Amino acid sequence: MISSQNETARTPSRPQGTHICPICCIIPPHMSDHILKHGDEKMQTWMMETIRRSEQFQGRREVIGNFALALSPGEKRRTVYDARKRETLPGKLVRSEGGRKSRDVAVNEAYDGAGATYDLYHDVFERNSIDDQGLRMDSTIHYGVQYDNAFWNGNQMVYGDGDGRLFNRFTIAIDVIGHELTHGVVQYEAGLIYQGESGALNESFADVFGSLVKQRSLNQTVDQADWLIGAGLLAPGIQGVALRSLKEPGTAYDDPMLGKDPQPAHYSSRYRGSQDSGGVHINSGIPNHAFYLAAMEVGGFAWEKVGKVWYITLRDVLRSRASFSKAADATISVAGQLYGQSSHEQTAIRKAWQTVGVIE
Amino acid sequence: MKDEGKTMQITVERTGGFTGIPVTKIIDSKTLPQQEAARLHKMMTEADFFKLPTTISSSPQPDRFQYRITVEQEAKQHSVTVDETVVPANLKPLLNWLMAQPAQPATH
Repeated sequence: MISSQNETARTPSRPQGTHICPICCIIPPHMSDHILKHGDEKMQTWMMETIRRSEQFQGRREVIGNFALALSPGEKRRTVYDARKRETLPGKLVRSEGGRKSRDVAVNEAYDGAGATYDLYHDVFERNSIDDQGLRMDSTIHYGVQYDNAFWNGNQMVYGDGDGRLFNRFTIAIDVIGHELTHGVVQYEAGLIYQGESGALNESFADVFGSLVKQRSLNQTVDQADWLIGAGLLAPGIQGVALRSLKEPGTAYDDPMLGKDPQPAHYSSRYRGSQDSGGVHINSGIPNHAFYLAAMEVGGFAWEKVGKVWYITLRDVLRSRASFSKAADATISVAGQLYGQSSHEQTAIRKAWQTVGVIE
Repeated sequence: MKDEGKTMQITVERTGGFTGIPVTKIIDSKTLPQQEAARLHKMMTEADFFKLPTTISSSPQPDRFQYRITVEQEAKQHSVTVDETVVPANLKPLLNWLMAQPAQPATH
């Protein structure tokens, strides 16, 4: 059925889900590649969808990277889907790259937040999307009913609407979007195992780069930034300002329904229990605060120097089972390579890790 | 059907998630309207709850929830810890119903 370019160009875009695997499996790669390069936008979207479904079906995710590269290397490509309160992914396509603004604020927040995250990684760290190979950034909004969560599922971002009593919609805070996309970056780079200290580092990198996405989108220096994760996410009446604070871990909320922010700022107060994969969202406060202290000491825009050290560490140095002390040593070493041994930057980073009790 | 008349105490704890904030729900079937209690018993039967394994887990994924459901019914007690990504289809209605109940205030 896809026999020539002209025919395919005339084929109307299909609603998702009508063709799943029988077709995509028999389209030879050079042909789908051709459609991606020369088909109209609707056709390209359909082809990507087909490849995506086949890739999910076959469990081969490298396929999508190759096609993404074939389509538009070095370009930002975003799509937003609406799950319409169901839990089927990705949902109905509601906005793709360059598409018109939606009347639905969540669509635009997911789109703009993914864009700001792409821009930070691309413009500052010279990274081409989540996988550094131009992977399309897919987001699904309105996932589930009153769903109090956002997550990266290995392929895409997913956002719930919140229950309205404790939490608002999860796209409301741009750092949440940067956080989720960074889980994708971590997956492609250090691959930090989501348990114990390596898991808390995974969380911390997501918070740090989430905050940097916000700071850069607002053009804020370290003194102007709020250093909060999830400002605006807590529903009206909840006592708190956000979910986490890199500046003062443990102070983001204190509420009868939510309890008190449990994050420690010092290694000696770390959580040692088994909940939350060994406290990955709790102990992340320790490396979060180390980043904050180092960034404040260095000054200026946090993404320029200390942010760069953290990025290079994540990309080139850390291994999947890294501990806090490994991360501390790695950032100190990277700072030495980038800015010189005993440079102001390296000294600030070493001092920060000492202050939070990770190294002596 | 013979369990229909017996009351149940159910505790569900949700941990993990992007917020990292645990949520606990405690439900006593005695306090439910008759229709809701019947619905609960039906969902329990459909889930075959007392025969579910104590742990249903997947490799951990960032920011996903984990649930621990404990049911006490007369002399019987059973706890199931299940990761969000691998909730069995026949347990899903029960879990959704439980999570839609009012939350308990935080204990810490």
